Amino acid sequence: MMRGRTDRLHAHASDYFASDEPPAVKRTDYYWLRLVGTGLWFLVFGLVTFVLGFVVLPVIRLVTWDRARREHRSRAVLGGGMRSFVHSVRALRFIDFEFIGREKLGRPGQLIVANHPTLIDVCFLLGFAPTASCIVKASHFRNPITRGAVIGAGYIPNAPTEDMIHAAEAALQGGETLLMFPEGTRTVPGKPLTMQRGAANVALRAARVLTPVFISCEPSTLSKNLPWYRIPPSRPKWTLRVGDDIDLGAYRDAPLPIASRRLHADLAGLFAGANTVRD
Amino acid sequence: MKSRQEIFDIVRRSLVELFELDEPVVVPEARFDDDLEIDSIDAVDLVDHLSRIFERRVSPRDFRSVRTVNDLIDCIDRLQTQ
Repeated sequence: MMRGRTDRLHAHASDYFASDEPPAVKRTDYYWLRLVGTGLWFLVFGLVTFVLGFVVLPVIRLVTWDRARREHRSRAVLGGGMRSFVHSVRALRFIDFEFIGREKLGRPGQLIVANHPTLIDVCFLLGFAPTASCIVKASHFRNPITRGAVIGAGYIPNAPTEDMIHAAEAALQGGETLLMFPEGTRTVPGKPLTMQRGAANVALRAARVLTPVFISCEPSTLSKNLPWYRIPPSRPKWTLRVGDDIDLGAYRDAPLPIASRRLHADLAGLFAGANTVRD
Repeated sequence: MKSRQEIFDIVRRSLVELFELDEPVVVPEARFDDDLEIDSIDAVDLVDHLSRIFERRVSPRDFRSVRTVNDLIDCIDRLQTQ
């Protein structure tokens, strides 16, 4: 369209394009099909979430009076949905993924902490550990599409801080598995990872086991500040690697605020180290 | 019922114990965020700790207007009379 033009009108055309992706990279793996497909699966994902949240989960609520069983069933439905979602987009060859050590997820009282490079990280984690609860951005409790689902499943909003901490503590003490993204938001590519101390605090208050999951996506896609249609030049592959459990006993001698700072520093180091090493 | 001085001593001891602060730093005028570097997560830990000592279930909401050590003492003083 504006090929080769350098007139003043288009002098800032580069503003429209992210500079982190060199334009010379050849678009492969059926780029245009993947672009249309990506748009479609966003649409389908939104629709399915809405239907589950406003039709399926309310039905579950009607027939399941016990709160724990109701949340369990709702999570199983949502987790099943997310698992089918990642399996189907892989079958359609929009994405690829490898999940190493997922049998280590889903233990009672287990806190799972993961870095958060892409929009759909949660689909892998809750898809394969479906009974887990999850700390979710508070705005999802107001968003009309996600509201029904997050309330029905009894997920925990990330604000206000005191409510989040106490709800997370109660969930872990009750033997639930809990998933938390300690960064609180998606990682900005190329920026160092900044984690909130809440995860370390919750871990030391109530977790029986603390398990890190290291997520990477190559080439990078669906990251923060990047619209969905900026799909990568080749098919993206997610690698999720479940790390070894972190021994919490070593921290629990100190008073909570001090111990949580120590654990926080160690977690930050662990994730920073894992992110610089490409396997 | 505890006197304001007793409450101050408990608060100071708690702050020293939990956050490894130096005792002289904890004065009634000290601000939690600037002077003592206590963030919102620390505040939850502190309130949980104090409510165990005073055997009162309090919500951190009761402490929303607290900015300084003195505010906290006022707050606890008010709560124990309720």
